[in-house]
Amino acid sequence: MEPSPSPSTTERPPRWARWFVGAYLAMFVVCGVAGLEAWPLTGWRLFADARQARQPGFQAVTVDRAGRETPMPFRHLPAGYRGDVQVLKGFAGLPSARQAAVCQAWATAVRDRGGEVAELRIYQTVTDVSQREGDRGAPPARSRRFTCRPGSADAGG
Amino acid sequence: MPAAERALPRAERWLFAPGDPRRLAAVRVGLCALLAARLASGPYPELATQPEALFRPISFLRLLERMPSPEVVAVLQSFALGAAVLATVGLLTRYTLPLAWLAALPLVAMTSSLGKVVHNDVLLLLCLVPLLPSPAGAVWSLDARQRPVARPGPAFGWPVRTAMVVVAGAYFFSGLGKLLHAGPAWVLSDNVRWVLYASSDAQPTPNPFALFVADRPLLAHLVAAATLAVELGFPLVLWRPRLAWLFVPAVVAMHAGIGLAMHLDYAAMAATVVVVLVDWAALADRLRRPRPASPGRSGPVPAEERR
Repeated sequence: MEPSPSPSTTERPPRWARWFVGAYLAMFVVCGVAGLEAWPLTGWRLFADARQARQPGFQAVTVDRAGRETPMPFRHLPAGYRGDVQVLKGFAGLPSARQAAVCQAWATAVRDRGGEVAELRIYQTVTDVSQREGDRGAPPARSRRFTCRPGSADAGG
Repeated sequence: MPAAERALPRAERWLFAPGDPRRLAAVRVGLCALLAARLASGPYPELATQPEALFRPISFLRLLERMPSPEVVAVLQSFALGAAVLATVGLLTRYTLPLAWLAALPLVAMTSSLGKVVHNDVLLLLCLVPLLPSPAGAVWSLDARQRPVARPGPAFGWPVRTAMVVVAGAYFFSGLGKLLHAGPAWVLSDNVRWVLYASSDAQPTPNPFALFVADRPLLAHLVAAATLAVELGFPLVLWRPRLAWLFVPAVVAMHAGIGLAMHLDYAAMAATVVVVLVDWAALADRLRRPRPASPGRSGPVPAEERR
């Protein structure tokens, strides 16, 4: 079906359409300019900060009964576990019961995959990505911040 | 009259000028098909099993204690997917399109309830908003079989142009955010090198694409400058539609580069840009009535080139 080539230019869109578009674009622009998060409207902060070579972070590791440390396999866990960077960043500010629940959730996920978890440790790290060892970065400097055992979360280090 | 006062009526005239119902229909088909694909392949069932302690809700999901249950997610996903498919083919479009959007909203919100906003699907959702109350099923739809042929008119212009403004704004505000938070250092410092090194180090094996750029400081500065130029310059496509020839491939290349180097998936965002910014009706006309090729007039037609 082909529409007529000549548009009906005399018609005007209804008043509600103008209000709808005006209000929608106004909210969109306010969120964009002010960096507000009113999801699904967003401040569009994508890689907005300038990174430095020395990058602070956190690392979670499981410890087996022999004392061997293994990094938490977040990439191989279900999608619900992939917010590890944000959870670790805010871990210190969580109530102790919530910290214990987070540790328990991670330990359970590793055990469900056949891993052994006697303890879970959280390290604060500083990685200097400008220090290269071949194709890899040099290991980060790290200090232990938390040690979780089943049912508890104790501040450490 | 000051320039700013003149600009607003001009923008309004542009926004509410008549449009081709086929252009709106093409955007409906493209965005709804994309939504259906995302709904079919999204990680929602996995997210529904997330332990309560890891829930970092966003927006209206803060009303919940944890992710919606697997049963609720299964019902929502089936309903949203079905409605999105029906909206794609244009059956009961006035109802199925808004219902697909509403049902998809909590599912997509789940993907951003891990502590970080995931922008990949947000642009798709925001571009669908102006289509919700529009006659998007007037042509190229099952609904249209029962109706007289729709003619170009004002009802078909503003939904597409509003979506175009949203796409342009998304990239502009992304660039503006870099300027406001990092300033010139985003380009002039080694920012991009450090981002790429960190990303490569976090991947199971070193990423050759990330390392290729990160190992070359000048190239990293060029990539940073080009990124900022494309993002801040994107709204120019609204003023000069032919510039879509430059900016649409540029953002697709940018997202492809991020995918290769950082393994971050922005495919839905790139696809949304292509669906909204290409004038599919004009392209269909061109393919149907091939003309002798002339320099610079072959291939897809950028947004509203014919107007």
